Amino acid sequence: MPSATAALARPFAAIPEARRRQAATLALALAALLFPVYHGNQADIDSLANAAIYASLALGLNIVVGFTGLLDLGYAAFFAIGAYTYGILSSFQLQPEWSSFWVPFQELGLVTQMPGETTGFVVHFTLSFWLGLPLAALVAAGCGVAFGTPTLRLRGDYLAIVTLGFGEIVPIVFRNWASLTNGAAGLNGVAAPVLLGHSFGVNATPYYYVAIVLVSALIFMSFRLRDSRIGRAWMAIREDEIAAGAMGVNRVRFKLLAFATGAGFAGMTGVLFIAKLQTATPDMFDFPVSVMILVMIVFGGIGSVWGAVAGAVSLSLLQSWWLPDLTGWVDAAGSAIGNRWLAQVDLSQSVELIFGIILVLMMLYRRQGLIPAYRAPAALSFDQQHAVVQRGFGELRLSGLGGEAHTGALALGVRGVTVKFGGLVALNAVDIDVPAGGVVAVIGPNGSGKSTLFNVITGLVPADGGSIRFHDEEILGLHDYQILVKGIARTFQNIRLFPTLTVLQNVLVGQHARLSTGAISAVIRPPGTRREEQGAIDWAMEILAIFGNRLLPRAGQAVSGLSYANRRRTEIARALASRPRLLLLDEPTAGMNPAETLELAEQIKGLKGLGLTVLLIEHKLDVVTTLADTVYVLDHGEVIAKGRPDEVRRNEEVLRAYLGRNAQAAAAGTTGPVHVA
Amino acid sequence: MTFSSLLLQQTINGLSLGAMYALLALGFTLIYGILELINFAHFNVFMIGSFVALWVLQGFGLSGQAIVLTGLPLVGVLVAAFAVTMGGCGLLGVAIERVTLRPLRNVTGPAAMITTIGVSYILFNIVLLITSAQTMNFPNPLPPLQWNVGGAVVTLQELLIWGVAPILMLGLWAFVQKSRLGKAMRATAQDPEAARMMGVEVDKVVMTAFFLGSALAGAGGMIFGLYYNFTSFLIGFTAGLRAFTAAVLGGIGNVPGAMVGGILIGLIEAYSGQFIATEWADVIIFSILVLVLVFRPSGLFGRVAPTKS
Repeated sequence: MPSATAALARPFAAIPEARRRQAATLALALAALLFPVYHGNQADIDSLANAAIYASLALGLNIVVGFTGLLDLGYAAFFAIGAYTYGILSSFQLQPEWSSFWVPFQELGLVTQMPGETTGFVVHFTLSFWLGLPLAALVAAGCGVAFGTPTLRLRGDYLAIVTLGFGEIVPIVFRNWASLTNGAAGLNGVAAPVLLGHSFGVNATPYYYVAIVLVSALIFMSFRLRDSRIGRAWMAIREDEIAAGAMGVNRVRFKLLAFATGAGFAGMTGVLFIAKLQTATPDMFDFPVSVMILVMIVFGGIGSVWGAVAGAVSLSLLQSWWLPDLTGWVDAAGSAIGNRWLAQVDLSQSVELIFGIILVLMMLYRRQGLIPAYRAPAALSFDQQHAVVQRGFGELRLSGLGGEAHTGALALGVRGVTVKFGGLVALNAVDIDVPAGGVVAVIGPNGSGKSTLFNVITGLVPADGGSIRFHDEEILGLHDYQILVKGIARTFQNIRLFPTLTVLQNVLVGQHARLSTGAISAVIRPPGTRREEQGAIDWAMEILAIFGNRLLPRAGQAVSGLSYANRRRTEIARALASRPRLLLLDEPTAGMNPAETLELAEQIKGLKGLGLTVLLIEHKLDVVTTLADTVYVLDHGEVIAKGRPDEVRRNEEVLRAYLGRNAQAAAAGTTGPVHVA
Repeated sequence: MTFSSLLLQQTINGLSLGAMYALLALGFTLIYGILELINFAHFNVFMIGSFVALWVLQGFGLSGQAIVLTGLPLVGVLVAAFAVTMGGCGLLGVAIERVTLRPLRNVTGPAAMITTIGVSYILFNIVLLITSAQTMNFPNPLPPLQWNVGGAVVTLQELLIWGVAPILMLGLWAFVQKSRLGKAMRATAQDPEAARMMGVEVDKVVMTAFFLGSALAGAGGMIFGLYYNFTSFLIGFTAGLRAFTAAVLGGIGNVPGAMVGGILIGLIEAYSGQFIATEWADVIIFSILVLVLVFRPSGLFGRVAPTKS
């Protein structure tokens, strides 16, 4: 198949890709707009309107599951909440007695007065459909926040089960709270939308157009959000929560935002759904609906906007068009060959069976879905791959980075910090000073507490005592993302990049805390936001240029495909992008060959030359000797030596820690096992 | 009925329901303990268990409540039905693992869990199509004996449940604690990598967990049929979710916790049905699920949920 599409695409190859996409989108939009004109069948228009409604739901779930990686199995609950919000406020369900309280609402057209069944006058709620859309979105989003606040801290599979429980509770509540919802019998007489004095009634065409406008708006919002600071934060959380926090992403807030946005999409869609049906019953929103929408985005491609639309439309048309057609053919074939079972089989009953099979087959054989969210980037050309390595850094001028005068003022002061894991003391009353503009190295055998030291400084591990001051400000007890905001950025020993994001996107996530774009400006994209985004890209490119032509040609590639050394470089670039005042590097040269090690050491030296303060964990002593002003040696969680690199190398305690207690004895000639660390 | 006899009656009902939920919860806990996977297919393995039992009992010529057996024939039929149901469901569980989950063993993310949702859906819809969405009358060969205890009624069915469920649970507990394979299971639950390096055949351990868990779910399904005298394609979802709540309540991964959690959920369901309202029972149970997960994710009895980083 790919060869066929390639052959089709060949005549258009001269047209830039962005143009081709615009043209394809335009053609699709035109076809959608003209459909009711050239195809007058009401039932088919209604089927397509339903398909667009499911596409809107799928787009909302895609933000939660696809972008942010939160598996929500009770998504239909928000659909229900939106639907009932509008349904109750636009039907005869609630009829409180009329009083002067309602007069202002009457002025606004939200209610009317009508004669009661027994005596006097009662209130008839007449919320307009057009007001119902935003109101239901807000109510559903509010419920999303209320439900998400306690639960979004849970790990992925627990969250799935909690959302499943929520998805069960909501329809049960609507079923049982009959005074509000008319129970299982459902709301009746939900008002149809009215536009310019004309009611939509039961004609499918106007609903179709509203659904098309809604789904277009949600597609647009999905793309705008995805390609913004917001979307990058969501994807960072999905890829690696710890790294996202260390890069300044407030996980709880952004998960809530994703949850609320998805819920809002569902709430709005709920209004359209029941306005079209003019009734709402609780079983329209049961678990199978949540699963169906999940199947749609899995089928289309988790995290892919067009995938969500394609998955929803194709599966929804499968139900309403293709299965009935197929049933007709199979039945005809059955009658022809005289097989009674075939002649009577109704395939549309097995649609859920087909959904289940699709779900399993997609997971086993094509997890990226029909339209994958990530496409393999174009491979580097032969010239790019074999280009002479340029090291960058001749005259390095990074605007606004470093510049800490080497005055001897204290940048970071760690005082008496103790960390215990159960009975194990990982750090015991550790004191470390990092002067502004200096490079301090921490060395020590494996398990001596070096990485724990980094984790406690960056807020990943709570301390059992002590104090950590950064430029005279206590940072112990702050959250990881707040510590990044203060100006401390780090890399990880085991490299924690966001694997499916590109090099550029990784570095842009690093700037998260330095940018201010919110959800609304991400969608509207006013000039200020455009400038900010362009500035962020320029700064990212400037940082990538530190590593010469190592990363720049690969900026558009997913980091999972990079070499080990390039991933280390990307991680350093990501940390630098946050404009830190103090950079923590956890074994930056681990796994690099001697030439690469030397190159990186020079680059770190260049950063030092810019006046950036660096705290470094490193095993390679020649790197430490080249870079560090001061070396601290940790062993069993205690500082056993500090001083200039050459002093520390001669220190007996250090030798003993590195070579084992028997080493000196062995050196003295006695027999016995020699432990070499 | 006086309040105390009502309370006693609901306790009797709750213990019977609880025994069934406990059997089902054990399957969740076994599989979660080893694979850290919430197995949604388990819901409908339970449901299929009730149908396998139905077909076996019908195979013995029973239908509805009309034919009653006593003595040795009764014991023989029940033992045979439990054995076939548990064996069949165990094999179904093994097949599900082998075909749909093993290829995803090393895939990170929710892929495996989504697959179990798909499998669950497939099982559900196959039974729906086979039974034409009808509720089936479940054959019950037990004589309609019942005893009056302090104003409450205990039936022979309930005594049977109280006999069978503890035997199965004790058997499982003994297997996990004493046998060589049980030890391998516990080791794999702690650290699959280390267990593999120590020569534990992880595939075999996982298969065993699926076999045992699914067999217990099958027994639970048969008990459902005997208790309620009907079965339907619909029974898996609610019972499964309640049993999962039981597993979480007891601390998922914790075998005795699942038993206690099951009993607790059964009692909560019975009491809230009696003293609040039946239609709100599920809201109460799922609210407990949410609250426990949020405030005490390790459950009532500890074993801190293992964290996959």
